[in-house]
Amino acid sequence: MNLAWTAILPVAVVLSSLVPGLLIFTLREEQQGLRTFLNLVGAVVKLVLVALMLYGVSQGTEFRFNFPFLPEADILLHGDALSLQFVGLSSVLWLATTIYAIGYLKHSRLKSRFFGYFSLCVSATVGLALAGNLVTFLLFYELLTLATFPLVVHTGTAEALKAGRVYLAYTLGGGALSLMGIAMLHSIGGTESFTSGGYVAPLVAEHSGSLGLAFFLLVAGFGVKAALLPLHGWLPIAMVAPAPVSALLHAVAVVKAGVFGLVRVVYDVYGVEVMEELNLNTPLLWVAAATIIYGSLRALTQTNLKKRLAYSTVSQVSYIAFGAGLLGPLAAAGAFAHLVHQGLMKVTLFYCAGAFAETLGIHGVRELNGVGRRMPATMAAFTLCALGMIGIPPMAGFISKWYLGLGALQVNEEWGLAVLVVSALLNAAYFLPLIYRGWFSSPAKEGWPEEKSFEERLTWLPETHWMLIVPALFTALLSLLAGLFAGTDLSPLAWGLFIVEREFAL
Amino acid sequence: MNFALLSLAIPLFSGLALLLYRRHGGPWVILSSTLSLTAALIALVEVVDGRNQTLLVGGWAELLAIRLQLEPINALLLGFTALINLLVALYWVRNCRNHNYWALASFLHTTLAALWLSGDLFNWYVTLELLSVISVALVALGGAAALRPALNYLLLSLLASLGYLLGVAIIYGRYGILDVQQLSQVTTMDTPTTLAMLLMTLGLMLKGAMWPLHLWLPPAHSQAPTAVSALLSALVVKGPLFILTLLWTRMAPVELANKGGEFLAVTGIFALLVGGWCSFRTPMLKEMVAYSTVAQLGYVMLALGLMLQWQLREMMVALWLFVLAHGLAKTSMFLAAGEMQKIFGNKRVTALRGASQTAPVVMFGFAVAGGSLIGLPPSGGFLAKWLLLQPLFTDFERWPLAFAVLLGTLVSAAYVFRVVTLAFDRAEREPPTAGDPVSEWLTLVPALLVWGMALVSETLILWLTRVAQ
Repeated sequence: MNLAWTAILPVAVVLSSLVPGLLIFTLREEQQGLRTFLNLVGAVVKLVLVALMLYGVSQGTEFRFNFPFLPEADILLHGDALSLQFVGLSSVLWLATTIYAIGYLKHSRLKSRFFGYFSLCVSATVGLALAGNLVTFLLFYELLTLATFPLVVHTGTAEALKAGRVYLAYTLGGGALSLMGIAMLHSIGGTESFTSGGYVAPLVAEHSGSLGLAFFLLVAGFGVKAALLPLHGWLPIAMVAPAPVSALLHAVAVVKAGVFGLVRVVYDVYGVEVMEELNLNTPLLWVAAATIIYGSLRALTQTNLKKRLAYSTVSQVSYIAFGAGLLGPLAAAGAFAHLVHQGLMKVTLFYCAGAFAETLGIHGVRELNGVGRRMPATMAAFTLCALGMIGIPPMAGFISKWYLGLGALQVNEEWGLAVLVVSALLNAAYFLPLIYRGWFSSPAKEGWPEEKSFEERLTWLPETHWMLIVPALFTALLSLLAGLFAGTDLSPLAWGLFIVEREFAL
Repeated sequence: MNFALLSLAIPLFSGLALLLYRRHGGPWVILSSTLSLTAALIALVEVVDGRNQTLLVGGWAELLAIRLQLEPINALLLGFTALINLLVALYWVRNCRNHNYWALASFLHTTLAALWLSGDLFNWYVTLELLSVISVALVALGGAAALRPALNYLLLSLLASLGYLLGVAIIYGRYGILDVQQLSQVTTMDTPTTLAMLLMTLGLMLKGAMWPLHLWLPPAHSQAPTAVSALLSALVVKGPLFILTLLWTRMAPVELANKGGEFLAVTGIFALLVGGWCSFRTPMLKEMVAYSTVAQLGYVMLALGLMLQWQLREMMVALWLFVLAHGLAKTSMFLAAGEMQKIFGNKRVTALRGASQTAPVVMFGFAVAGGSLIGLPPSGGFLAKWLLLQPLFTDFERWPLAFAVLLGTLVSAAYVFRVVTLAFDRAEREPPTAGDPVSEWLTLVPALLVWGMALVSETLILWLTRVAQ
């Protein structure tokens, strides 16, 4: 075993949330201070480590840790440009969401259990982002299912348990399908580490049928978490979870894990050439396009705010799958950038929805009327990110859609542009009414459904608990900056282009 | 070989001593299992590179003497038996109500050790009989409610013994030898051999609770004391399985093995699915765990069947890994189930409502053990399933079997998470009795061990691949 710092760092990134998580499980309910301390120390340490790794990768350092596991399939953690894109997103949003969750769950029970699993969930996400081969990916992919389940059913109501069962049925089914796909690939050609351009090319001549079936199994398996049509059913139901969990599920942990797996399979297992040769990308493109439109259509008819956001996730996450399926460098850059952009915007929207629900008891779309007067900062963050989701410049969402559109034209799939435009119109149709209600309608006469006043408020931001509003403003600001400074070297887009250079060997 | 015999003798003498001096049974068995485990490990080191050892008892000539053999797999099973006994004893020493348990558990340990070390048909018959009698006595420790299941178990076991013995008699009449090693040289495909194999197989399947001859197992397991259920599922059913494996891989003529393999594989798939479904449906907690044993044995039968049908020697590795992983996981699961029955004072699955709040450690142990039964990575169950799957993808005509394994995985996930989901219900009541923290943690230990197999998995798999063929 290699103990150089380049081997230790990827493990340390995973452990920086795993160890605090395990310690938190042992804490008693009333050890609030220690729990918060452990959470924040873990999150900050992780950020520092990830920053180090980002710097290292941009300088061309290779991070690699392996541990023998199966014959010819080690546990391999490996920091490349693509994994760092996802790890970076997870660690920033983990910090923000931890703060948000501390405020959100102030008065609820079983906090040690909640934060324990919360940390495990982030560890699993980071682990699968750093996974260097399919077996390692599968390991963390299944751990993620196990770690998120207790969060989904956290409230323990009949509705939550039902959602938990649905969630498990989908995700464990998906996990089993991906296991089959991975075992199949291993059996015909061994499990190699993810490499730009894929590693299955030598098998095409002899095993094209098996490769096709394995691809189908992998897409179906990862597509469950990525909420691809028709495997998206769990996502809108799982929104019964507490708001910080939904935020994490929709922005980083679960859906992103699925779509990240798809991206890995397309670029680093099969590779562009094999994908084209076996014509595997066409079905993926169609499914992704159908999901984009379908998610938006369903979002239109939802009267519950969180449900509308959930269907919006179904649609928005498929942009990434769509970009990956186009197999062109510009589309890929858009997809990689959207991985981060969607995360930042969607997490903000869920923070805001949670803040509305906690402060004023707002759950339905109609109840949003006039909320901008009562909670202007929250509504402002919500508005910014909703506009970003539609794709209005200069928000981050515009940048990713622009590149996706250019990418579709680059590979002569003009219909892709039409999909993007229709989806943008639909996005506008379900987000603009929310913004209109929030700012321009007058509040209902009978007052808010269930107004609470928090003691922990900032004097200059008195509208709600500071821990509910500050993370939302922070992520909203980040998604604005990601759009405004997309041209600089520090933006998610720049990193996306950096990944593309490596993946396409430009 | 001496250490292997020591590993067998220690529990024997500790059992005999416990018949005379009936106090401090728990510490006594813990000590003897630890010593036996140590001896087994030394024996394992002696044969680790595949040099088999044999002993002709009493110095008689070959064919006359009882031949004991020590191969790497036997040594491994010897250690495994001692380990499970130790883990169960550690838990049971705090919870035992009936002190007859300790002597019986020691004899059970001895019998299994003798079974692993034997290599001829009649010796196996003797150990099988002993195994059944001791197991029935152990089940009967469960009190009045356990008497009927124990009696059923006894009767079916006798029937199974008769079947097996008849098969042995036919083989002896046909070939005049009982030693499996010797028989492997001479067996041919003819009617007496086929009939004998069929009778022995059915007898062993009945004793080993392999579907569809498993009916005695769920009631016996659910009425027996917790420690006994754990021993029955983790160890006792593995005895007949071991004999079955050796009979078919060493003794059966190739053409017969091909047919037998097909039968075993198909039966295994049914066991996996039907057992899993029963486990999902049953309202009683321990019965749910017991049906899961029926289902998991299906994996082992499938592995054995495929090996025979397609001469896939690497399936042996999957088979032994299933035995080890299932033994550890099931020990944890039964101990956890028993501990929760004790805490909640109720034998139904629904009693676990809210258990993740009221008995978090035990519930966690239950779920972790369940994870290995489902085959989630990187648990021992996953390793076994991975190896089982590998050869299924190389050939187009084997794909349906992979699909069956997929279904099996889903069914196991269903029965495990049916319980786990209930445990997260918030409609909790305070449990009537407070749990004992040490017992609670002890139920977790075997489950952690089965997940810990991941730390040595590659070495373990490569070693098994080398020695199991």
